[in-house]
Amino acid sequence: MGWKIKTATATLLVTSLALAAFAEGENVTINPPAEGSISRQDGFEAWQRIYEVTSHPRCSNCHVGADNIPMWSGPSYGVAGPHGMNINAGESRIGAEYLQCSACHTYREGDNDMPHAAPQVATNWRLPPVEAEWFGKSGVEICNQLRDPDRNGGRDFNEIAGHLDHDLILHWAWNPGGGREPAPFSLQEHVNDVLAWGVAGYPCENDE
Amino acid sequence: MKLLVNGDEREVDVEDDMPLLWVLRDELGLKGTKYGCGIAQCGACTVHMDGVAVRSCQVAAATAEGTDVVTIEGLGMPEALHAVQDAWIEHQVAQCGYCQSGQIMQAAALLEMHPEPSDDVIDIVMSGNLCRCGTYPRIRAAVKTAATKLQET
Repeated sequence: MGWKIKTATATLLVTSLALAAFAEGENVTINPPAEGSISRQDGFEAWQRIYEVTSHPRCSNCHVGADNIPMWSGPSYGVAGPHGMNINAGESRIGAEYLQCSACHTYREGDNDMPHAAPQVATNWRLPPVEAEWFGKSGVEICNQLRDPDRNGGRDFNEIAGHLDHDLILHWAWNPGGGREPAPFSLQEHVNDVLAWGVAGYPCENDE
Repeated sequence: MKLLVNGDEREVDVEDDMPLLWVLRDELGLKGTKYGCGIAQCGACTVHMDGVAVRSCQVAAATAEGTDVVTIEGLGMPEALHAVQDAWIEHQVAQCGYCQSGQIMQAAALLEMHPEPSDDVIDIVMSGNLCRCGTYPRIRAAVKTAATKLQET
């Protein structure tokens, strides 16, 4: 068990507490409200909660632009800055041109309880498509991107909710471990907000 | 479980989540791969899995099963050095040497992707491998020399 002792030694170097364990591959219920049951105002309020999620470091740090450089930001990082180690995920968004994201963010079952270690989930770590650039973007910018099929992977609100259901990297945002702050609300609440926003007609701040 | 390491099939009796690094060092006696941080911050434990550089401290043994693992011991032999190892000697890159097996494994993977790497590409790919002695200028020079050697072969 020498390796476990050595690994534990690394843990002692930091003071952050690991978060409690979640079930692996948490699934959500996709149950959209009835058509016409959500007012534009209620839909816009749902959007504002969605923006709290999309602009949170657990999400926006990887939703970066065409420089393909993920960010390190959030309460545990101090000043926001680019991912350490001069990381560039390349146009492949998985680091195939340089150093693959999966060199460190390896495929792994279970929780990420080691502070400062590379987060790992049971799928290949990667950046989202460049069209979904969120880091530093305003609410109205992200709102218009998320309702634009040309920039959201051709998804309607049900399909966005389904994407949230099946993508394990997204699940990690609510269970990041290692002392990292989770994305706000819960995955289920976020899905509910996406569904309400969609049923309300995808209201954004720039609408008439 | 069975692991393919440096071309040899090796049987190891380990837990599925034991990091590959400790399988290599403690179970198989391959001490060339170094422990630096244990959290993918330094690159000292870099090996190849199916030709791709990975941090072996982060790879579960079960994940390595079924892949082709190559360590510094399998990259080249004293009588037939890999071009990167040859260039490393030529440039006398190492100072204390602790990080160098990881550096060499990363550099070899880099040259597979970029046969003629620019300084920018070298810096992007090699920045995940830390060197407390600060041998970075010699690393960059040796990578370029190794690239030339590989082009000539």
